[in-house]
Amino acid sequence: MERSCAIVGGGLAGFVAYVTLRHGGLEPGEIAVFGTDPDPVAAWRPRAEAIRQRRMRSESDGHCYPRSFPGLAPREALRTRSAAPLVQTVCNRYRPSVQEFLRHVEELREQSGWDQSFQPHRVARVSAADGGFEVDDRGCFRHVLLAPGHPGLSLPSELASDPRTVHAYEPHGYADRVAVVGAGMAAATEWLNALAAGAEVVSVRRREPARRPLNVPRPLFSKAGLASFHAAGRAQKVELLVGFGEPSYPPGREWDEPVEWARREGRFSVSASVNGEAQVICATGFRRGFENDELLRCLVEEHELDIEQRWIVLAPDGTVAALTDSTRTLSLAGVPAQWAYPAADTLVGMKYVARRFLRKVDACRSR
Amino acid sequence: MSFTLRGRIETRLAAAVLPFLVACVVAFLLRDWWPVELVGVMVGVGLVLDAFVYWRFLRYQPGWAAVPLGLLELGLTMALVRLFDIAAPLGPALWFFVGSWLVMQILGHAVLPYVRLTYAEDGGELGTSGQGLALAAATAVLAVLGTAAATQPPTYVLESGLHQGPIVLDNPQTLRGEPGAVVRGGIVITSDGVTVRDLVVVGGRNGIEVHDSTNVRLENVTISEAKMDGVHARRSSLKIKGCSVRMTGDYTQAIDISFAFDLPMSSVERCTVVGGQEGIVSHMAHVDFRRNHVRETTLRAITVSEMSMGKVSRNVVEDAVGVGVYCGDYSHCDIRHNTVRDTRANLKSSDRYTHGHAILSHFYAQATVSSNVLEGNANDMRAAPDSLIRYR
Repeated sequence: MERSCAIVGGGLAGFVAYVTLRHGGLEPGEIAVFGTDPDPVAAWRPRAEAIRQRRMRSESDGHCYPRSFPGLAPREALRTRSAAPLVQTVCNRYRPSVQEFLRHVEELREQSGWDQSFQPHRVARVSAADGGFEVDDRGCFRHVLLAPGHPGLSLPSELASDPRTVHAYEPHGYADRVAVVGAGMAAATEWLNALAAGAEVVSVRRREPARRPLNVPRPLFSKAGLASFHAAGRAQKVELLVGFGEPSYPPGREWDEPVEWARREGRFSVSASVNGEAQVICATGFRRGFENDELLRCLVEEHELDIEQRWIVLAPDGTVAALTDSTRTLSLAGVPAQWAYPAADTLVGMKYVARRFLRKVDACRSR
Repeated sequence: MSFTLRGRIETRLAAAVLPFLVACVVAFLLRDWWPVELVGVMVGVGLVLDAFVYWRFLRYQPGWAAVPLGLLELGLTMALVRLFDIAAPLGPALWFFVGSWLVMQILGHAVLPYVRLTYAEDGGELGTSGQGLALAAATAVLAVLGTAAATQPPTYVLESGLHQGPIVLDNPQTLRGEPGAVVRGGIVITSDGVTVRDLVVVGGRNGIEVHDSTNVRLENVTISEAKMDGVHARRSSLKIKGCSVRMTGDYTQAIDISFAFDLPMSSVERCTVVGGQEGIVSHMAHVDFRRNHVRETTLRAITVSEMSMGKVSRNVVEDAVGVGVYCGDYSHCDIRHNTVRDTRANLKSSDRYTHGHAILSHFYAQATVSSNVLEGNANDMRAAPDSLIRYR
């Protein structure tokens, strides 16, 4: 059977796209997935373990199933025979455990036939060809979805060579006195981890973190808010996207109380710079922008794609307009798709792109 | 979830399909329009709120908000049911609303996200199905209105002047009088679905007789000089609103609704009754007497008797002889917010229960009373030894 679709990237965004295509009726033989590890959470899992993450920030809809319903809350309610997850999800208080999420990914991986489509190969180049796209030397595909993931961990240049420095997403323990650089979700998690391990914590940050349940305001997850985002001018879009990328973590006593207790005991303080701590944990996220990703940088240069600062300009459905027509599709998923969907690096965002990619594939197949 | 305006309307219409079909079936079985009218009001309230309130002020709607919004919609729906005088019984209407609300929640949170991949991110829009739905909804509304118009009973108008009765109304119709139209000799109703409006009735054995008929309405009628009863209803269910009845004979009753225990509740509202032995009376019937003004009766002003179940509220009773409000003979009465004043004893009678009681519970009757104003009566309240008065 001819493989008409290629997914470049075997992480969660690629996995979500794969499951959506399978739901849309494509057989495993029609889809090629290129990645370095057949486990879709191979990149995500060690990061979550490194920051001792126990609960997902996302809510019931933060899953990889192609349909929104049933999400994780009703499934957990059914499995545990408890109404608690349903009540929590109605009040936007449901946070699935990491364990629950990993179990669900594993289950879906087996059901979907992911391993039949997976090809272990790191793709270096994707270029437009007649009726599709050449993916390295692996052939020409009519529809390609690029889900390269984050382009590596970000470390402040002044700390990169410091032997005390470790990134929050790398395995680490805690010294007696720890500086945590950053003010987002990972940083807040690290404050609590280090305090729980008995360490004294110095939060190094340049600004006060925003307190938001999610990175992006809820209306921007659906058409109601997206319409105005898509209609915005380029400068305004950039301003919005920069704002959404500012560090934040959810409000709630579970975050505030341990920090407040530690502050009273003199074990938590805030500083503008690192100052002699035994360990420096950089909760500074990922490098940003397509130019930090070799595959995307080459794609932009080779095809002279439209860009705006660090973003590739995309159509509202996540496709690269210059390389997409009625016969072929090139879509971006995950964090590089923020121009189309501000929360593209969330599971909901990955599904947004995947569903539109499926529409393109379907429209082409039906002719 | 963040709905778009179109998404809200399409979801609302999708959720209305099942309740609408159920309402049509129930209406057909009951041979009554109220289920369709109720669902129409319900959907109308929802659509208006969707278009003018929710869409503007609720950019994101968390799941729990469905409960307070549902209560708001319930309140508005029931207020409109009352305002438009839709004959929906309260209990079934509430259950119907709750059932429809549940259908909407299940549809919005489970069924639609299940069957339509992009339901949530499309803000509740249903794509081409939504357009089809809007078309179907418009068609359904036109079909219902068309059917309603086609099946409405005819309206006959009595011109100004004197018309000799008795006029017999033996099929569904509306009989309306022009100003100055007078019927002498009474009206007899023997059919369901009859409305008599804006008429003066003079004389006759009974002013208006209703026999074995339901869904009868008497609106803004004036009755006088009847020999027996002003309104005489047997085995019937009727709504009387805004009437004026003046009685002169010794043994007459202004409005008597009797022997209708197994029929839908009858009501008498905003009527003025003067004179007669009894003012407003029920025997073996479900009744609701409210906001009436009854005066100068010679035995009892308002009577709920013979195993009736009655609500007597916000009436004004004045200058009655004997009893103001009477609950008797195994009846259950809910008597609230009435004003009874200047009730006098019947000095010619040896019956000790005609001694000018404002409220009397008699012969195994149970009356629940609250917030009544009793002024200048010979006796205020009394329960016979075999009867009860409960204070709430």
